[in-house]
Amino acid sequence: MDVIETSELGKRYRRRWALRDCTLTIPGGHIVALVGPNGAGKTTLLTMAVGLTRPTAGTLTVLGGEPPGSPGALDHIGFVAQDAPLYRNLPVEDMLHLARNLNRRWDQRRAEDRLGQLEIPLSQKVGELSGGQKAQLALTIALARRPALLVLDEPLAALDPVAREDFLAAVVAAAAGDGISVVLSSHVLAELERVATYLIVLTRGQVRLSGPVPELLSAHGAGLEEIALRHLRAGVPSSSRTEAGQ
Amino acid sequence: MTARTIAAGKGAATARRPVPWSKLAWVTLRQRRGLLIGGGILLGVFAVYMVVMAVIQNNAYAAVAACHLAAALTCQQLVNSFRSSYWGGGAGPVIASGGAQTVSSLLFAIPVLLGAFAGAPLLARELESGTFRFAWTQGAGRTRWAVSTLALPAVVLLAATGAFTGIFYWYFRPFLADGQVSEMLPLGFALLGVAFAAWTLLAYSVAAFLGTLLRRTVPAMAVTLVVYIALALATATALRPHYATPVTVRGWNNGGVWVISQWVKAPDGQALSQPAVNSLAQHLPASVQNSPSPDAFTNWLTQHGYTLWQSIQPNSRFWQFQLTEGAWLLGVSALLIAATVWLVRRREA
Repeated sequence: MDVIETSELGKRYRRRWALRDCTLTIPGGHIVALVGPNGAGKTTLLTMAVGLTRPTAGTLTVLGGEPPGSPGALDHIGFVAQDAPLYRNLPVEDMLHLARNLNRRWDQRRAEDRLGQLEIPLSQKVGELSGGQKAQLALTIALARRPALLVLDEPLAALDPVAREDFLAAVVAAAAGDGISVVLSSHVLAELERVATYLIVLTRGQVRLSGPVPELLSAHGAGLEEIALRHLRAGVPSSSRTEAGQ
Repeated sequence: MTARTIAAGKGAATARRPVPWSKLAWVTLRQRRGLLIGGGILLGVFAVYMVVMAVIQNNAYAAVAACHLAAALTCQQLVNSFRSSYWGGGAGPVIASGGAQTVSSLLFAIPVLLGAFAGAPLLARELESGTFRFAWTQGAGRTRWAVSTLALPAVVLLAATGAFTGIFYWYFRPFLADGQVSEMLPLGFALLGVAFAAWTLLAYSVAAFLGTLLRRTVPAMAVTLVVYIALALATATALRPHYATPVTVRGWNNGGVWVISQWVKAPDGQALSQPAVNSLAQHLPASVQNSPSPDAFTNWLTQHGYTLWQSIQPNSRFWQFQLTEGAWLLGVSALLIAATVWLVRRREA
């Protein structure tokens, strides 16, 4: 099953195209790294995939043909937006209960076990958690929904190195343990390099490179970072190269 | 891969059963707990005060009402003392400054306060803080979420303000019976019948709609206040008098009735213009001009063949007017809430 499939997908905000002519097939069973500089269209692509935004042009389906935002799609996609927005005024416990009541599929035991392992107290307010704990709570909620696809938008941006490590380990464990497909975006490939099994490079609203990591490595005969950098540069005028190379 | 296919298959089988409303109701009530407590305290404090005062006032008025055939002067003193003690506005005891007139005027502000504080943050806070990206990507879907978020507080507000109106009526009843105020006049009309609840619902719907449109809580509250005051004033002055054709009656009532207009007819049946009435008033005999009685001028007019006329909305039309106003307020509120759901559905992240 293809988890995300797009055809000539485009999104325009007023006069600027955030994403253009994006034709892409993301097969299931991968940890997909969606990489590109800030403003490349990563968030736009992901918010369309989860049904928060509608395409201006082209088509997009998820989980083998479901329209994004449809009940079938919402039920099976766990999404964590950038900065992991959760209700800051609620205790962790109530945040879980709230998420549970907003979903048909929910594994309370699993959520509580995970938070126990992470030593996140249930009585603490969400707003009082550290950045790492908050990201883990958002991930816990997304996983408790037993999704087929986990979509994480810049999940590591606000985390310190240790928290990043822990977060990625949790994602890899979930992907391996439950057979969940994962799509995560970042403007830093280095941090996803070790976990990604599929790479998509996006710059200036267009897909520059897409494929399973082993194939890319053998076809290009270079390190993943080097390959990505080459394709990032291909789509970026020389003036902004430094940013793209981040 | 197999596990995923099975999971997806199970999901398809249950796809016809959306997240139940009872679960969504829990979400809405948990998120509005602060509002429920705050609004409950606001209404509760007034309610307790009014229950206490209602007992006192109803007892005091019972004495006034019992005194009709007794010596007129004693009765008049009782009435005056009741009015100055509990209605206020006169040079009565200390309690007068916080009399029913003042308290009722304060209550005027409750619908817009309650409505704005309840309605404006519903969507605006989600949009401000980005939590809508969480709420709208859960299994329930954003439409169901929005309907629950908007409808449940509306029902709670209607129930609470409706119950409050009952207490207020008990508190206000002696002044209506006394004939000093009319339930048709703006003060009573807004706080009795269905108007109090309906205006609260309107403020709530305006605030929720504006909060979604402006995506900011505080500006939405401010604009709601302006819109509400403008609409309430326009309704009381320009719209409500036209719910039914006024009745023309002979003679001038003093208080206790909603007078739309009044005029004097000359003995030949011609209606007098205002300058003509003024000129009459200035050329009265000295005995009438210097009379301490407030009715001296009108008595003189009737003695000299003039007739006095009024156009009024009788108190008997109270429920007709209440239901007319309640119906259009409910209609406008329902439209605004539907429009808010529509905004949520088409809103892009």
